[in-house]
Amino acid sequence: MKKIYLSLVAGAGLLFSQASTTLAQGDYPTLSQVNQRLQALSGSGSPAKLTSLTKTEGGKDIWVLKVGRGDMDNKPGIAVVGGVEGFHVLSVELALQFAEKLVKEHSAKLDNTTFYIFPNMSPDAYEQYHAALKYERRGNAAKVDHDRDGQVSEDGYEDLNKDGVITMMRVESPMGDYMPLDKDPRILVKADRSKGQKGSYMIYPESRDKDKDGQFGEDLTEGIAFNKSLTYKFPIFQPLAGDFAASQVETRAMLDYLFDQWNIFSIVTFSPANNLSAPLKYNPADARKRILTSMLDKDVAINSMVSGIYNETITQKAYNQTNQGTDGDFFQWAYFHFGRLSFGTPGWWAPEAKDADGKPLGNPEANFLAWAEQEGMNDVFVPWTAIDHPDLPGQKVEVGGIKPFVMYNPPFSKVAEIAEEHTNFILKLADMQPKLEFHNVKTEKLSNGLTRITADLFNNSPLPTHSQLGERSRWLRKIRVDISKDQKDLVAGEKIQLIRSVGAFEKTTLSWVVRGSGSVDIKAGAAHAGFATLNVKL
Amino acid sequence: MKIKNWIYTTALGAAMCLGATQVSEAQVADGRYFRAAGTPHNPKVQVSWNRYHTNKALLEIMRDMVAKHPNLVKLESIGKSYEGNDIWVLTVTDFKAGKAEDKPAMWIDGNIHSNEIQGTEFTLYTAWYLMEMYGELDFITELLKDKTFYFAPTINPDAHDYFMTGPNTGSSPRSGMMVFDNDGDGEFGEDPMDDLDGDGSITQMIRKSPYGNLIKDPMDPRKLIRVGIDEKGEYEMIGQEGLDRDGDGRVNDDGIGYYDPNRDWGWNWQPDYVQSGALRYPFTVPENRAVMEFIMKHPNIAAAQSYHNYGGMILRGPGAEEDLGTYNATDVRIYDAIAKKGEEFMPGYRYLVVYKDLYSVFGGQLDWFYGGRGIFTYSNELMTSYLYFHENAGRGNQDEQMKVDKYLTFGDAFVDWKEYDHPQFGKVEIGGFKKNFGRLHPGFLLEQDAHRNAAFSILHAYHTPKLSVTEVNEKDLGGGLKEITATIYNERLIPTHSSQDLKYKIERPDYVTISGAKVVAGFTVENEDFNRVTEQKVSPEKLSVANIPGMGTVKVRWIVSGGGNYSITVDSAKGGKTSWKK
Repeated sequence: MKKIYLSLVAGAGLLFSQASTTLAQGDYPTLSQVNQRLQALSGSGSPAKLTSLTKTEGGKDIWVLKVGRGDMDNKPGIAVVGGVEGFHVLSVELALQFAEKLVKEHSAKLDNTTFYIFPNMSPDAYEQYHAALKYERRGNAAKVDHDRDGQVSEDGYEDLNKDGVITMMRVESPMGDYMPLDKDPRILVKADRSKGQKGSYMIYPESRDKDKDGQFGEDLTEGIAFNKSLTYKFPIFQPLAGDFAASQVETRAMLDYLFDQWNIFSIVTFSPANNLSAPLKYNPADARKRILTSMLDKDVAINSMVSGIYNETITQKAYNQTNQGTDGDFFQWAYFHFGRLSFGTPGWWAPEAKDADGKPLGNPEANFLAWAEQEGMNDVFVPWTAIDHPDLPGQKVEVGGIKPFVMYNPPFSKVAEIAEEHTNFILKLADMQPKLEFHNVKTEKLSNGLTRITADLFNNSPLPTHSQLGERSRWLRKIRVDISKDQKDLVAGEKIQLIRSVGAFEKTTLSWVVRGSGSVDIKAGAAHAGFATLNVKL
Repeated sequence: MKIKNWIYTTALGAAMCLGATQVSEAQVADGRYFRAAGTPHNPKVQVSWNRYHTNKALLEIMRDMVAKHPNLVKLESIGKSYEGNDIWVLTVTDFKAGKAEDKPAMWIDGNIHSNEIQGTEFTLYTAWYLMEMYGELDFITELLKDKTFYFAPTINPDAHDYFMTGPNTGSSPRSGMMVFDNDGDGEFGEDPMDDLDGDGSITQMIRKSPYGNLIKDPMDPRKLIRVGIDEKGEYEMIGQEGLDRDGDGRVNDDGIGYYDPNRDWGWNWQPDYVQSGALRYPFTVPENRAVMEFIMKHPNIAAAQSYHNYGGMILRGPGAEEDLGTYNATDVRIYDAIAKKGEEFMPGYRYLVVYKDLYSVFGGQLDWFYGGRGIFTYSNELMTSYLYFHENAGRGNQDEQMKVDKYLTFGDAFVDWKEYDHPQFGKVEIGGFKKNFGRLHPGFLLEQDAHRNAAFSILHAYHTPKLSVTEVNEKDLGGGLKEITATIYNERLIPTHSSQDLKYKIERPDYVTISGAKVVAGFTVENEDFNRVTEQKVSPEKLSVANIPGMGTVKVRWIVSGGGNYSITVDSAKGGKTSWKK
């Protein structure tokens, strides 16, 4: 009996030490490590509740961690989303560390804000980071005929040089349209035919042409990419996108959850798209079209303000941040189709590096390699090495290139600081949330038992209660004002009134004429904007 | 020819057995029924096509169809509705003449909009007509040997019955039974329609008022007339029969819906602020999702028809002007040919294009069927007031409708104005046209219009591809080599791949395969006279053909070595299968 007791204690000790090694680990976590941390975070007594929304085609859970206190669904909420791209393993870690820091260090924030953390929307693809064969995977485990030729996934990646990673292959050819970059000949760039440049290589992903259609790696063994299959600008019939938007169960499970959480006012997405280093552009012509493809002007102004706060909070200077959204992605969906304030960042990018002469390199890959060298990272490039390609007999084929993952995910040792800064940014965003208050409350006695009640409903926030687009959306509630008087005692003024929006630091004046005495309760708000209450003695 | 013989023999046999029966069954059945041309006069499945059926009655009819025509009909549930009702699909084909899924097929559905219930009847009528006429008319017999029909009489069973049993107008509900927060106040469905007078129809409320601008027509007190701008009236219009239950000053402003199941489909889907009535993402509506999954699993569907009401229209896409480029000339030619023929035998129906003749919408069913699946699809707006008096008095013409109710329906279509003590408006009068009038056919017009629309679908289905290997020519090339050239003919209007299908490679190519021969090389022949060919270097014995055009041919060629007998098979998802043997 004693022995058992002792071994239990030892076991607990082991568990504990394992947990601490997890924190000090040297690489991005495996899915099971992610799951363990989520479970640990949401134990009894924790303000975080973990729910599996569904399982992917690959049998992996789609988790949401709801973190809050009290009347959680009626406090403004922020959703934080990671794993939007399966190869962007950093994003999962950032979402996870945000959750951990929130619960352990910043739980006071939960008095006013509820958080919804979706740590990993692409668990099927995420696994590839830790698999025997590593490559930048986007798709889930669904079976898809990407090149639409009647055969499913017949031309996926192939580890031709048996090094356990998928890079590129180049085929020497006078008909090639790629040429080595001057500043770093390891990098191939497209020959600029308009300048009379001549290519010398054809370039493909490391793959075969098993169906002999002349194309390489055009029908990958992965399925549908979460970040290419949402409804905004859905790239129908393109590889990894599918035959219609939101075709995958994990996408629908997440969207259904979001649509049911009326209190979410903003979404922060960790994915390659970035509107935090610089805001999206306003295009008046596109903003007037029936199908909107530009943010509306007032929302661009908000984006710009929040971007300013991001750049103050994050020490890393923006560099090569040109991705402001791709077709069918999540980050644009959150604004254009969900009407919420949507902010996205990759969390990290290779900083600007200079060449030997102190000049910028321009080309992002060359810049990355130069930066990696400065950092002493020697294992980021597979040198071009000739192989015998079974589908290209007699041709000079070389496999090589930048290793998968490294351009999107920094060495794990850098993640702690990135996570700390991004946590701070999200908390600052929470501090800005819409905040409704009553001011200038007046009760005036009219004769014969009538009282006029007047009050200003003030939004004490730099953000409006509704994005400009959100005002048009049926998926954001209007500000509703209720007065506790019976209809028969309301001489003037409405028992229920709906207000479209209250702007940043703006007010709207309310007034009623009521009959009788006692006290009256007035409540104004909406789930995503919070509520203000007022008790008036007549 | 064989069928004719068979019918003849059977009829003769029956006549001989009964002895006393002097007339052929083909004219007088059961000693009782003399055939009206074109209609089954003694059907195995008895249905009255002059009334509307509830889900219960529909299922009874469909089960009866399976029992009476086991070789022609199968019934399956393709999924559940929001409220858990089955969505039934009848598969109708000659199951003894090949597998259903191997034949070019047509999909027909009705009732996507809950109040548009004649589509259900028309869909079922078409199924009934085909199975009852099989073996009686060569044309129909042949059609069911060649083709498969999938009938979904209602793809919205919940609200199909709710339209009939619940408090509704002729235009409600448009959606299924899901409830949302229509007025944006955070509550769901708190202010639905109220049938104050308990007659099952939501009509109108008027109130006596010295300041009103309406009077009742002294010649016909059912009719309200607007007085002149300088005249005094007697009544004011309050609006729809109902209450303001949630105290927001609006009557009936948050009932079931709002959403439009016909804004829920996955081609160029747009959210509600762009396209009112859309929900969360394509196929949010569970009934639509079930249909979509069925369509995805049945790539043999080459033609489709959906039924709506009303206005007498044969509609094709695009639904939205932004999609104009989707419908190209090659496909529009085929749409035009079938629909213009339909106009000829469907009086009162006009062939129109949704975005320019009706309204511009995203996420419609017909756009997904065509844009997303490459299926030639029409949507008919059933019932037109033209059917009343063969005049074009226009939609909702009150004078004409009153005349119909006076001379044809004898007061059955109208609720006479009757006083009611309204808790919010005081003394009002409630009355107006019933929900089963206006958009819906009156009973006596149902069967005729059902038949004409069925005929349109039969024409449409007839024109799905019909493939055959018509010619196989051999040429000796010497050295033990032989050149075999085969011609594949599609003797109908619709190609195996619409141009939309080809543009996005929606469906796999057609395969033309030779077996029993050693293939040295394989080609598709672009121009036989000048020997222009395109070689397929990989697997030349199984040639991929992008498309077999309507009323057109594709020629393929193999160089083979050695002799012996060989066979050629054609395998097309939408064109069916055919083969040829030496």
